Amino acid sequence: MAQNFTTLPDHPETATLEGKNKVLAFWLFLGGEVVLFGSLFATFIALRTSYAGGPTGAELFDLGLVAVATLLLLTSSLTSVFGVMALHRHDVAGMQKWFGITVALGVAFLGLEIYEFLHYYHMGHTMSSSAFGSAFYTLVGFHGGHVLAGVTWIALLQIQLAKKGLTVVTAPKFYLAALYWHFVDLVWVFIFTVVYLMGKVG
Amino acid sequence: MGQQVNTNETQPKFKKHESPKRHLVAFVVSIILTALAFLAVIVGGTSGYVIPFIIVLGIIQAGFQLYIWMHMDQKGHELPELGIYTGLLVAIITIIAFVYWLGGY
Repeated sequence: MAQNFTTLPDHPETATLEGKNKVLAFWLFLGGEVVLFGSLFATFIALRTSYAGGPTGAELFDLGLVAVATLLLLTSSLTSVFGVMALHRHDVAGMQKWFGITVALGVAFLGLEIYEFLHYYHMGHTMSSSAFGSAFYTLVGFHGGHVLAGVTWIALLQIQLAKKGLTVVTAPKFYLAALYWHFVDLVWVFIFTVVYLMGKVG
Repeated sequence: MGQQVNTNETQPKFKKHESPKRHLVAFVVSIILTALAFLAVIVGGTSGYVIPFIIVLGIIQAGFQLYIWMHMDQKGHELPELGIYTGLLVAIITIIAFVYWLGGY
């Protein structure tokens, strides 16, 4: 371990050409993700008042629940930054701790979202109840799918880290997963603004 | 004693990259921006100014995420910026086109 500590370069995530290429390619992928979510947001904004006699956003949404979900995701973004800082210190135990907390917060967010969707389902707000319903579940569900993917990804990386240790091969993976996680949080900022808060305003 | 000299030497090396304070400040600012947006909706009701106000707050918060937490403020991030802004350009054109022709706002 002590050996590893001294031989690992300062920024292990971009120490190799492969690592550098991964970071660049991942940013281009995130550019594509912006387009994906842009299209989903455009669809949602266009259809967000097409209730077709079903429940409206103002009737459905509970701002307290949304505030808790926002706090969970925002905090998990901060803990993943701490995870990357531990990576830069070559501190494997710190990485496991901070990325572990990130995964736990992400799972809590998902649990809250599943509860929320079930609640809406019982209120008659479904994928097929109105154009608003379809657009809502597609946009928010797509984001939830990203949270699920991020949680799974980081958890698998943690198993790999325990097995292989921190190297120039495992470091870029954590850096990318943290970037992805921040992006998922960034999308949520616009979801709580456009879907929930604008839904309350009407 | 020798230990102490050693830590003094290595500490600034790590500080140079990033300090937790910066990230904590970004976190607190994000919380404040979020709280402001929620408050605006609760207090502002159906006023026409509420929606533009909360969208601006969201954009500011997104900027904090990109430039501080995703390190876009650091050197060598020209291509990531190009990637993200190209994506944003397409996304914004799509949103404006949809809202212009289909409404909803």
